[in-house]
Amino acid sequence: MASKFIALPKGVSEKTFEAAIAEFGSILGQDSVLVTAEQLAPYIKTMMPVPDADHAPSAALLATTVEQIQQIVGVCNQYKVPIWMISTGRNFGYGSAAPAERGQVVLDLKRMNRILEVDPDLCFALVEPGVTYKQLYDYIQEHKYPLWLSCPAPSAIAGPTGNTLDRGVGYTPYGEHFLFACGMEVVLANGEVLRTGMGSLPKSNTWQVFKWGYGPYLDGIFTQSNYGIVTKFGFWLMPAPPAFKPFVIQYEHEDDIVEIVETIRPLRISGVIPNAIVIAHALYEAPTKAKRNDYVTGTGAITDDAVRQIMKDHKLGAWNVYAALYGTQEQIDVNWKIVTDAFSKSGKAKILTEQEAADDPAFQYRAALMRGDMTLKEFSLYNWRGGGGSMWFAPVSQARGSETLKQMAMTKRILGKYGLDYSGEFIVGMRDMHHIVDVLYDKTDPAMTKAAFQCFDELLTEFSNEGYGTYRVNTAFMDKVAHTYGPVQRHVHKTLKKALDPNGILAPGKSGIR
Amino acid sequence: MQALKAVWAVPALILTAFVVIGNVLSIAGATSQEAHGPGFQWKDGSEVYAKVCAFCHEAKVGPTIRGRGLAPAYITFIVRHGNRAMPSFRAGEIDDESLARVAEYVSKAAANQ
Repeated sequence: MASKFIALPKGVSEKTFEAAIAEFGSILGQDSVLVTAEQLAPYIKTMMPVPDADHAPSAALLATTVEQIQQIVGVCNQYKVPIWMISTGRNFGYGSAAPAERGQVVLDLKRMNRILEVDPDLCFALVEPGVTYKQLYDYIQEHKYPLWLSCPAPSAIAGPTGNTLDRGVGYTPYGEHFLFACGMEVVLANGEVLRTGMGSLPKSNTWQVFKWGYGPYLDGIFTQSNYGIVTKFGFWLMPAPPAFKPFVIQYEHEDDIVEIVETIRPLRISGVIPNAIVIAHALYEAPTKAKRNDYVTGTGAITDDAVRQIMKDHKLGAWNVYAALYGTQEQIDVNWKIVTDAFSKSGKAKILTEQEAADDPAFQYRAALMRGDMTLKEFSLYNWRGGGGSMWFAPVSQARGSETLKQMAMTKRILGKYGLDYSGEFIVGMRDMHHIVDVLYDKTDPAMTKAAFQCFDELLTEFSNEGYGTYRVNTAFMDKVAHTYGPVQRHVHKTLKKALDPNGILAPGKSGIR
Repeated sequence: MQALKAVWAVPALILTAFVVIGNVLSIAGATSQEAHGPGFQWKDGSEVYAKVCAFCHEAKVGPTIRGRGLAPAYITFIVRHGNRAMPSFRAGEIDDESLARVAEYVSKAAANQ
């Protein structure tokens, strides 16, 4: 007899699962327990080069309250049913809304979407996990609060809780998002509710203003992990500056990345340039203005000659450095002189501001991201190869020119071997660089899909062999990346898992932790 | 909750106790952050279009979809399943009723409305 479910959790019989589903229905109402193929279709589509069936959920639960979640984990413990938690479910290129393993039940918190507090004086927000950046942006606009968000490129449809918990980044001075997290509420696997930091203290009003609380700092163990379900998330917001000056600096040659990084590092560390600067390769920006088919015929990676033609036709540098100054006009004027003096020394840089680049679609969306506005223009990347295949390769680099050049050359060589283009950028942290490469491929092409998988695997292997760690990865490669960080860290992660979730009901496999 | 307790085995009852303790703690620490109320809900189809669809379909990222007389059933199917580079959208994000409304809106809308 055919199963009534499209998948089952590993090691759970249909009869047992049926009983669990009935209990979920009692908690949430039948309409909020999704089990049919049609209902689950939106959870199954991923951008990874593996069969979507490998990550098909058995069910999805639409919870709206902490109390419901407490009861859900009770049922999960009783029946040994694993759940995969998502907030807005927009982790494109990292697994989207699909679970790490086939048959896990998705706990979808998108409808848990209340903005609980925005304090315009202390500049913080407390939100539920389903709140999107767009929802919060509109709330701030409606209340005329002089506050700015920092959001990742899928801004409008993603949200601060999920992005920060996966340690994502944005492009404003608050771009390293977890640095600006302040206080979480977490439902643990045993149903207890933990408020981190000052939130554990009854009557405390400092939960969102002082991160550390008393005793070991716990917030970090609930990021990129499976130790709890975050149901409230606090974070700091940037006061809107009186003035804002976005700019782009273009360089003509790929090996200019050395000079760029050496110039930027002291400006970033000293705070002259306060935001998460992006050094974007021509092919990262080209999809906002150009079509690949106009420059490439046949299979294989795009040639350097074709890239140069795109640069010429669409006014792009080989590298395009996007940054901004924030503050009063007087502060900006002083810092602008420091910036232009530094970049003008070699004579290689072409410096453009809004005056020259306001109509450029790449500049427009980059400027929007640097002030925390909503834009999805970066999704133009997905049109480059077409076919819906994308994985983010995200090794960390020192903010040192020789290192970034080495990483770029390694990445480009390996991608080229598999016929894939280098669509890369470096996001400048305080002393590091997130080297972000969109491994784009046509998922409707089986041969290219296979090549993309092998390519990504080789990228991870070669980079770890050189001592370069990956900061975040899609669900098909989490075990491999966890392995690169060595046995001791994995053992500690596992020890914590056993202590906090002995039945292994929370997102088994997340970051390679079971 | 009561119905659950009736069918849980002993270990589950222990967990239930944890749950109750958790609830009590939450209430003890109650602040304005505890205020209950409905979450965000879509007002109509044009709001869904403006706050989700338009970011791609009015920005030359996805194709133009207004003014083409696309069938609502087709729109609904693509939204739920995705299509190549277009992501799928879950009922948690756009509920069935709001999806029907935005599909109707897109189907009937003129190109430059």
